[in-house]
Amino acid sequence: MAAAALVATASRSVRRGSLLTKTRVVYEGLGAAPTRQRRAIWGQRDGDDGGSKVPSKNVESFASMLRRSPLIQMGPAKDKLVVGEIFHIVEDDLYIDFGGKFHCVCKRPETDGQKYQKGSKVRLKLKDLELSSRFLGAQTDTTLLEADAVLLGLMEDKENRQK
Amino acid sequence: PRREAAVAAALPAGRVPQGALSRGFLGKRPRRPRASAAPAGGGFALMCSCPLPADYRRLLEEPLKHPDFFNVKELFSLRDLFDARVHLGHKAGCRHRFMEPYIFGCRLGQDLFDLQQTLIHLQLALTFTAHVAYRKGIILFVNRNRQFSHQVDTAAKECGEYAHTRYWQGGLLTNAHVQYGAGVRLPDLLVFFSTLNNVFEPHVAVRDAAKMNIPTVGVVDSNCNPSLITYPIPGNDDSPSAMELYLRLFQVTITRAKAKRKQMEVLYGLQNKPPQLPPGP
Repeated sequence: MAAAALVATASRSVRRGSLLTKTRVVYEGLGAAPTRQRRAIWGQRDGDDGGSKVPSKNVESFASMLRRSPLIQMGPAKDKLVVGEIFHIVEDDLYIDFGGKFHCVCKRPETDGQKYQKGSKVRLKLKDLELSSRFLGAQTDTTLLEADAVLLGLMEDKENRQK
Repeated sequence: PRREAAVAAALPAGRVPQGALSRGFLGKRPRRPRASAAPAGGGFALMCSCPLPADYRRLLEEPLKHPDFFNVKELFSLRDLFDARVHLGHKAGCRHRFMEPYIFGCRLGQDLFDLQQTLIHLQLALTFTAHVAYRKGIILFVNRNRQFSHQVDTAAKECGEYAHTRYWQGGLLTNAHVQYGAGVRLPDLLVFFSTLNNVFEPHVAVRDAAKMNIPTVGVVDSNCNPSLITYPIPGNDDSPSAMELYLRLFQVTITRAKAKRKQMEVLYGLQNKPPQLPPGP
C-alpha cells in the first residue's frame, strides 16, 4: 500500500517559475481523490460511508468523481510532469508507480544512483500511460502492461533546489 | 448430482451459468444484473435427492431468504473502488467487444469502467462467494498474472481456501478422475483475479469450469471475454491497489461466511451432532 500512501498524502500542487520560464504544473497523487478541502470547495461531501447506511442525496456519483480526478484533469499524458514512487528494484531497473493503471520502468541514472531506493519519490516526465500498439495481422493491440516515462530526478533534489 | 444440486440451490433464479447447464434453461442472462442476489421471499425448495433433517434444511435455506444475508454491501464503497483504480481499463485498441456494456467511456484512448455497474457486479459476486463458503464449498483462486501470484496464494491460504497460480494442466478439471484417482472432489467455485493467461488468451479454466458445471467469479478487464464467467466483475486487474482490494474483499467475505456458518450451527444446535450426511454442503 506504499503507492496508496503516496497518493493519499500528496495533493496537487502548482509551481510557478519566473516570468521567463514556462509555467510548469507538477501532478502529484495522480491516482488519488482530491483533498478534503478541495472537495469541500466543490460542494461534495464524504457521503460514501459504505453502503450499509441509507445513501444520502449528496453521495458523489462516479461521473463526478471521475471528472474531478487528477488523472482526468491532467489531460493527455504526453510531456506531463508527475511524481512517482519506486516500489521495486531489480539491479539497475527501477519500477516506479505514479498513480496510473501501470507502472513505468526506468534505468537507474549515473548521478546519485545509490539514492534511488525502494520508497523514494522521483519526478517523471510521462510519454504514454500504456505501451500498446496494433501489429500487422493482429485482431487487437499487443500491450506491454507498462507505462512509458523519462526519469528526471529525485523529488528531494527539486525541493532542495527550491530552498 | 450433489454438485448440480449445490449449484442449482446456490444460484438465484434467473442467473444461469453459461455452458452445458444453460442448454436446459430458457431465457438469457440479463445484461444489467438485478440488485438482489437471492430470490425474494421463501418458497425456494432445495433440489436434493436425499431427505434432510428439518433443522439442517433450515440451516441451509435461511441465508437464501435474504438478498444480502452476509452484508457484503458494507465492505466497500464506490469511493474505495475509485481510489483503488478499479475504473482504469486498457487502451481502446485492446478492448474486447463484449466488454462494451461495462465501459463508461474512452478518455484520450483509455477505456474507463462504469463503477456503478462494477459496484453491483462485485456485490453479487461477493454474495455468491459467501453463500458457497457458507455451504462448505471448495473455492479455488486462479490467477496467472505473475506480479500478484504470491499475494493470491497467501490470501487463499489465510482464508482456508485454495489457489492455483501456475501453469494449468489440460485435464485438471475435465480429466480429474483419471489424473488424480476416482472420487476426487472438484472445486465448487473458481474465482479468477485475471481471466487471461500469460499470452493474453482466455484462461483454459474458464472454459473447463463451464464444461464441468462449476460456477465462476472473475475480474474481467477491458481486454477479457466475460461470456463464460457466471459472475463477472468488470474492473482493473493490472494495478496492485485494485488487486489488493479484491483479495481483501474476498478474504473477508469467505471468513465471514464461514464464521456465520459456525454461528448458525450453534443456533440450530447442530454443532455437536455427528455428521450423518456425505461430506459437502
